[in-house]
Amino acid sequence: MNKLYIFLKYFFIVVWTVFVVAPFLWALTTSFKDFQSVNGGVTYIPWLDFEPNLEGWKVLIKSPAKGGVDIIEPYFNSLFVTCTASLISIILGTLSAYALSRYTFKAGFVKNNDITFFFISQRIMPPIVLSIPFFLFLSSINLLDSLTGLIVVYIVLLMPIAVWIMVDFFNKVPREIDETALIDGCNPYQAFLKVVLPNSIPGLIVAGMFCIIFGWIDFFFAFILTFTEVQLLPVKIVALNSSVTPWWSLSASALVSVAPLIIVAFIVERYLSKGNLSGAIK
Amino acid sequence: MAKIDLSNISHSYNPNDPNPVFALNPFSMTWENGNRYAILGPSGCGKTTMLNIVSGLVRPSAGRILFDDKDVTDLKTEDRNIAQVFQFPVIYNTMTVYENLAFPLKCRDFSKSKTDERVNSVAETLNLKSFLNSPARKLTADQKQLISLGRGLVREDVAAVLMDEPLTVIDPDLKFRLRRNLKEINEQYKTTLVYVTHDQNEAMTFADNIIVMSEGEVVQTGSPKELFERPNTTFVGYFIGSPAMNLFESEPSSNDSVKINNTLIKTNSNLSKLKTKNIKLGIRSEFIKIAKNQNENLVEVNVQKVEDLGNYKLITAKMGSLTIKSKVTRETEIPNQNVKLHIPAEKCCVYEDNKLI
Ligand SMILES: Nc1ncnc2c1ncn2[C@@H]1O[C@H](COP(=O)(O)OP(=O)(O)OP(=O)(O)O)[C@@H](O)[C@H]1O
Ligand SMILES: [Mg+2]
Repeated sequence: MNKLYIFLKYFFIVVWTVFVVAPFLWALTTSFKDFQSVNGGVTYIPWLDFEPNLEGWKVLIKSPAKGGVDIIEPYFNSLFVTCTASLISIILGTLSAYALSRYTFKAGFVKNNDITFFFISQRIMPPIVLSIPFFLFLSSINLLDSLTGLIVVYIVLLMPIAVWIMVDFFNKVPREIDETALIDGCNPYQAFLKVVLPNSIPGLIVAGMFCIIFGWIDFFFAFILTFTEVQLLPVKIVALNSSVTPWWSLSASALVSVAPLIIVAFIVERYLSKGNLSGAIK
Repeated sequence: MAKIDLSNISHSYNPNDPNPVFALNPFSMTWENGNRYAILGPSGCGKTTMLNIVSGLVRPSAGRILFDDKDVTDLKTEDRNIAQVFQFPVIYNTMTVYENLAFPLKCRDFSKSKTDERVNSVAETLNLKSFLNSPARKLTADQKQLISLGRGLVREDVAAVLMDEPLTVIDPDLKFRLRRNLKEINEQYKTTLVYVTHDQNEAMTFADNIIVMSEGEVVQTGSPKELFERPNTTFVGYFIGSPAMNLFESEPSSNDSVKINNTLIKTNSNLSKLKTKNIKLGIRSEFIKIAKNQNENLVEVNVQKVEDLGNYKLITAKMGSLTIKSKVTRETEIPNQNVKLHIPAEKCCVYEDNKLI
């Protein structure tokens, strides 16, 4: 019984690991292949099955004039837009979430929960519904095809996530913490900054992680709201495709584009395993 | 350190409703500087609300609060210099034990050396010295509660330390010691302590003044002895003491005596102004003894059960349909069936409509 349990446990862990890791390995090997080794039957092991080369990777940093697609600038654009929008969303979202969790708002029949739901409802709509209003809005303030415009739009998209996660988080932080801080002599702002916020780091990390992921992977709005001046990574990667699908450079770009998320995942995972996320408040 | 006056305080959590529900009905009370108070009452009777009003977390719907005759009703919590400890430990997770204890002093710009001195002395009292540099979140629940308590005690000049059932999470042994520590702190520093509990033993052993509450009403304030011997209402008589006060339906028969089950009982109360027929006689089981040579205030009872409770015996007896409980010393011989019990007149309390006459 016990042995069977251990066997099954490891069996499923192995199956799952293979399931998760195999595509990465496949992409990794493919990125070093050339036309011949991709299209001439299945090949697995470099140097044995096929002769690895760096063409797929070189294309990513070569300028278009030399037949490459320069993804360095879009890469940094994406990093900049995602991080800035996430940071602003987290700051605004945390402040609104704290207010929604601790104070009572009332405007006619609209109460705290309705306001919270209003934020979430922004993400219920299919993105296509938002595309035309966003387009018109950005064009009216002359921010189409600009990093600033993208940041504004991403804040609109990411803040609901931050609000949603943080409202839930703050609702679980006992009010007594704030009250104790007041009793100990903080004013409400100090109570928030010195006591509630440091206690909320786990929530902030989770919210930050979601904002970064959803910001980083967005293709749709980046595609619609930019043309030539500014390009984000996902759009650029799609532009790689041509009549002959360049599997090697697509694989290479897929790997570089998930890299930041893997780094984020490792940081959060370290934090999770230290037990800081769960049971921080008790 | 201050005298705290609560004057005509009342509170409702829904004051704008057409039918507001009052969590606290109007009352006035004075907490003298340096005393130990216990607020005692069943769940939901408004104890926490009262503390929150004093600390400023709740603004009363009506009435004024004065600290040393200064009106603080509109003063914010952080400006009141009050300490409050909640039922469940509240600690600042991201700080060490030392930082937790020092926090109230830091917020009030105490000097480094003064802070050090106070934190160390409080940590000494609460046995937290060896943990001062550990992260507070690593401690056990009762140690965490000690930190909460410590944050309340670290300021010497607080108007009062309010404690809302602070020892619930602490194991009985430590509880006993802590209560004694609190007493010592109160005697040493003359800090006013207010202690909420629904355990009457805790209230009786800790406080020199007990405030008994019921359903938003302050029913009686007094020393443990007063509450025990002359409860203001049948509720207090019932709530305080173990076993509860004996209460008998009775009929007035003269200006100072009542009849229970056709037995005449003389009391020291003046019964000439009774208006209603709802009269009850109350007497503590501690005061009912087996009759020796008395010749009045005797009741004949049928013993049902005798429990040996260590340092005393508890007799449960029947008189007709009434149940009488009497606490006697261990050595007392109890005849098997029928006994005469003596009810001392000076210990009798007569209640009209459940209020003491
Ligand atoms: N924030 C609130 N909003 C509305 N009603 C409340 C609020 N806090 C308390 N009440 C109500 O006020 C009454 C008194 O509550 P309070 O918390 O003061 O009781 P308590 O004596 O402290 O009870 P316990 O022993 O359970 O802690 C209760 O009926 C409760 O339901
Ligand atoms: Mg309470």
